[in-house]
Amino acid sequence: MISHRNLGLVAAAATLLAAAPLSAIFDRWTWLVQSTIAVAVVAAVAALARLGRAPLWGQLLAMLGGLLLALTWLFPSGAELLGMLPTPATIGHFGALAEASLVDISTYRVKVPDTDPMLFLTVLGIGSVAVLVDLMAVGLRRPALAGLPMLAIYSVPVAIYVESVPPVPFIIGAAGYLWLLAADNVDRVRRFGRRFTGDGRGVDGWEASPLAATGRRLAAVGVAVAVLLPLAAPGMAGGLLDTLGPGTGEGSGAGRGATGQVNLFSALRGQLNQSETTDLAKVTTNDPSPSYLRFGTADQLRSDGFRPRSPRGPSVNREFSPTVPDREGITRARYQATVEVTESFNMPLLPVYADLAQIKLNGRWSFDTSQQVLFSNQERSSGKRYEFEYVRSTYSPTALRQARPLPAEHSLNWHTLTPKVPAVDALVDELTQGQRTEYDKVRAIYDHFSTENGFSYALSTEGGTSGAEIVDFLTNKVGFCQQYAAAMAWLVRAAGIPARVAFGFTTGNKTDGGAYVVTNRNLHTWTEVYFDGFGWVPFDATPAYGVPGAVRSDWAPDLEVKEEEAAPGPSATAGPAGSDSGTNQNQLEEGLEEELSGQPSGTDAPTNPGSSWLWWSIGALALLLLLTAPALQRSALRRRRRGSRMPSTGRAGVATGGVPSGNHRMVVLADTDRARADAHTAWDELLDTLVDFRQRIDGAETPRATASRLARDTFHADSEAASAVRLLGRAEELARYAQDPHPGEPLLPALRRVRAALVAGSNRRTRLLAKALPPSMLLRWRGAVADASARLVSSYGRFRAATLRWSPRRLLADRRSH
Amino acid sequence: MTQQTRDEAGGLLPHDEFRAAGDAIVANIEQVIEGKTATVQLALAVLLAEGHLLIEDVPGVGKTKLAKALARSIDCSVRRIQFTPDLLPSDVTGVSVYNQETHDFEFRPGAVFANLVVGDEINRASPKTQSALLECMEERQVTVDGITYPLQTPFMVVATQNPIEMEGTYPLPEAQRDRFTARIAMGYPDSGAELAMLDGHGASDPLESLRPVSDASTVSRLITHVRQIHVADVVKQYAVDLVTATREAPDLRLGASPRATLQLLRTARAVAALEGRDYVLPDDLQVLAVPVLAHRIIPTADAQMARRTTDTIVSDLVHRLPLPQERRRTSYDTRPAANSSRAPYEPRRA
Repeated sequence: MISHRNLGLVAAAATLLAAAPLSAIFDRWTWLVQSTIAVAVVAAVAALARLGRAPLWGQLLAMLGGLLLALTWLFPSGAELLGMLPTPATIGHFGALAEASLVDISTYRVKVPDTDPMLFLTVLGIGSVAVLVDLMAVGLRRPALAGLPMLAIYSVPVAIYVESVPPVPFIIGAAGYLWLLAADNVDRVRRFGRRFTGDGRGVDGWEASPLAATGRRLAAVGVAVAVLLPLAAPGMAGGLLDTLGPGTGEGSGAGRGATGQVNLFSALRGQLNQSETTDLAKVTTNDPSPSYLRFGTADQLRSDGFRPRSPRGPSVNREFSPTVPDREGITRARYQATVEVTESFNMPLLPVYADLAQIKLNGRWSFDTSQQVLFSNQERSSGKRYEFEYVRSTYSPTALRQARPLPAEHSLNWHTLTPKVPAVDALVDELTQGQRTEYDKVRAIYDHFSTENGFSYALSTEGGTSGAEIVDFLTNKVGFCQQYAAAMAWLVRAAGIPARVAFGFTTGNKTDGGAYVVTNRNLHTWTEVYFDGFGWVPFDATPAYGVPGAVRSDWAPDLEVKEEEAAPGPSATAGPAGSDSGTNQNQLEEGLEEELSGQPSGTDAPTNPGSSWLWWSIGALALLLLLTAPALQRSALRRRRRGSRMPSTGRAGVATGGVPSGNHRMVVLADTDRARADAHTAWDELLDTLVDFRQRIDGAETPRATASRLARDTFHADSEAASAVRLLGRAEELARYAQDPHPGEPLLPALRRVRAALVAGSNRRTRLLAKALPPSMLLRWRGAVADASARLVSSYGRFRAATLRWSPRRLLADRRSH
Repeated sequence: MTQQTRDEAGGLLPHDEFRAAGDAIVANIEQVIEGKTATVQLALAVLLAEGHLLIEDVPGVGKTKLAKALARSIDCSVRRIQFTPDLLPSDVTGVSVYNQETHDFEFRPGAVFANLVVGDEINRASPKTQSALLECMEERQVTVDGITYPLQTPFMVVATQNPIEMEGTYPLPEAQRDRFTARIAMGYPDSGAELAMLDGHGASDPLESLRPVSDASTVSRLITHVRQIHVADVVKQYAVDLVTATREAPDLRLGASPRATLQLLRTARAVAALEGRDYVLPDDLQVLAVPVLAHRIIPTADAQMARRTTDTIVSDLVHRLPLPQERRRTSYDTRPAANSSRAPYEPRRA
């Protein structure tokens, strides 16, 4: 009973921990207090029911009743008996609350304020989960199943936060679940009674269990595999590392039909992965030269890039007042467009042209007028088809020059906030020096990102040592649209002008029907600068050659074609100022620039075919070496053995070999040793040869027995080889066991004869293997590996035994047993 | 220097002479026992190794004949004792008899006072009488009434016993068995040898006409020669390994004694010398393991139930035990795993 009560408490606590993800939804913590009350009531009622030995269905009814009481007390309608007991009016009130909560869900965006309907819904949900968890964990003793309702709570923020879900609440919930599992299993083990070791000693304390060690090892290996396997699989590049890393960019997510996500984060460092092309949307418009489709904005600047804010706004079904004022220098034209989003683009955002004037869209879509983002908290973009009207504005540089600096109290002034990076401020000061108007300042910054100044397009940035990613980019001058957009926005902000980063599509490929098809390769990022009296004006600083479907404008012309087209006055005046600032660098990096322009301006990552070829050949060479190593080592061994042998083993021949007679005895001894060593070498070589040719070798056989077996079984048809192998056996026998080891005949020819007989007597496969992968060498390697691992195991065992002595748990167990 | 062996007297006993003497004895015995060269050689080797021989086999295969032929081939004193249940220890060792003339006890030597003692059907005597042989076999002396009498040199007991018919017999005690260097079985002759036997034994008993080809002093010289045979350290190690294996074998309740190790090596020297070698091979030990070790060890009840004799257990050990290597070198064993030397003493389940 006690254990049941414990488990019930753990179940209640685990439910509350599992509710932690809801903290990401609510603005305040009222929900937690109320949920705790409800869960506590449920747990208490369940404990009481179990105390009264109620059957399972009785416990369930009691818990539901407890939950009803808690809800009644928390959300009274005023018509309760004694303020606690529900009446039909209460139930009606609950119904009303539930209906109202649906309205609230569609009305509010995260984070949600404390409204009664929302709180009611939350407490009801968590209370129900508490009932289920208690039922499964305590009633049915299946705590693993209790994970399902707990997971249901977690799915709520997952559904709302489409892009990223806060991980910490999930970890808290998972910890609660694990606690529940552990508590249940400890309870199960306790039911067996006390644990004993083989020698009858109780193990209340601690006892090293080999099973536990195995479990730990399995867990470690499992975690390692779970982490490493996705990294190794190329298709999973959009996984863990990308989430942890500073953003991989647009292509990685949008390229996948399965997720269809675009990471709205304009990073100052990153890598673009565009291995495949996927159609994302089809656009039809009566605009003859459409500009960029737009679906997102990032205006929160951190040191690593721009992040988006959650959009807010009213429902979409109405006419929008244009954000761009009607004034001189702005050409406005109203167009109509139809967008069909494919299944591959799956975001809570819809791409539209700026400025949205009117849209026909069913469903719960909203429009954030300040961000100019069409969004939904419930729906997704995939498969949507919608029509809208928009006003396309084009600005003349002359008109833009009239824009004044933003007044200090302007609500958009926070768009000029930047992290303090002195190098950037210095660059901005240098670029904007002498520029009088806001537009000229922006143009100076815009012009800075030109090929002339050494900037180039690449699918990945280069690392740097400055410590600030913005400085790294401005120094390396290599990157893709994200870096250009973010860097320009940063610089413009540093100049005191509001700027942000916009996400969207370039124009895409025009089909025969006049529609444009945009793919993941059209995903693009650019900068928007706010001019007082003009609104947000787009600038695309990314080198146009890197962006398929790039469109330039009068106020932000393509810097590469500026000279040829001889841009008119206003921009020409800004041009020299912009290029002057980079002249020094320009000349320094002229060579580099030529190299860069020589490269194909495609979207593929620049690879070095030479180096990859080198790596392949090195790998192949290593493989070849590994494969031929046994054969090489074997032949080296044979050569060494052959070299070590005396040409003649006649005793007299060596004894008289020019040695002073006074040393005769010593010479004989040395000669004896020599003969012994020769015989051993010959025998070793014979054994190796036998192993190579797959002949049986018996560790319990004497040399004589081995030789006679071979002569009898293997060389029965070859008397010469038989006598040769007998000679070798006799030599080895003498060398091992006799005082005088001289066999009286040379061994080398005998060895050759035996080898020849073995070669002749074996099939081609055996011959080939003996040559290419000698089994004797492989056996030797295997033996070496086995020896090494045995040494390792024994030394680890010693280490373990030595450290176990100092384990505090063991000391504790010792103390208890005394 | 290596082809000759220095004998005790300082003179040289040429190798060939040793071999000739040994071969002559073997050939002489083979006139009586046809087709059993290995057995005969083993019997001679036991003699040269200063050991005692136990011949165990069914009746009628020539146990006693072998013992008598061996005795007759050597010109030395031979006594034969027919062991019967009423035989007394004093019949074996000798007894002090009161002499009326001298008014004193005088010692009458028993049957063991000879170079060769043939004990027929040794298990038919009572353990009391069997035990009379203990001292003389091991210490080559007899103590009667507190006086110790040394026995002659060479001294060898050749005993026979019948393992099948156990009615009215007294199995040899363990201590007694351990004193026999080797136990050999005669085995039936093959058909050719049996035909030749019919021809040879038809008219007269060839044992009657057998003449000695050697004498006690020659045998003593041969024994001295055997003691000089070289035994390499690895071979000694192998002998120890073999005996240790019997002690550790799970099939055996009692392994072989250190005395067995000594006698194994001594007999191996004799075998090597008889083959004309001046060094002992592990092969010699392998050949001798069953005759020298098998009769000393006692199998477990399980092994007995599984009908595993000590002979098969010892020969299994010999086949599994790896040879000791005199130096660190790669040793191969490509036998199948079931027969691997990793667990050489694993009992085989029947």
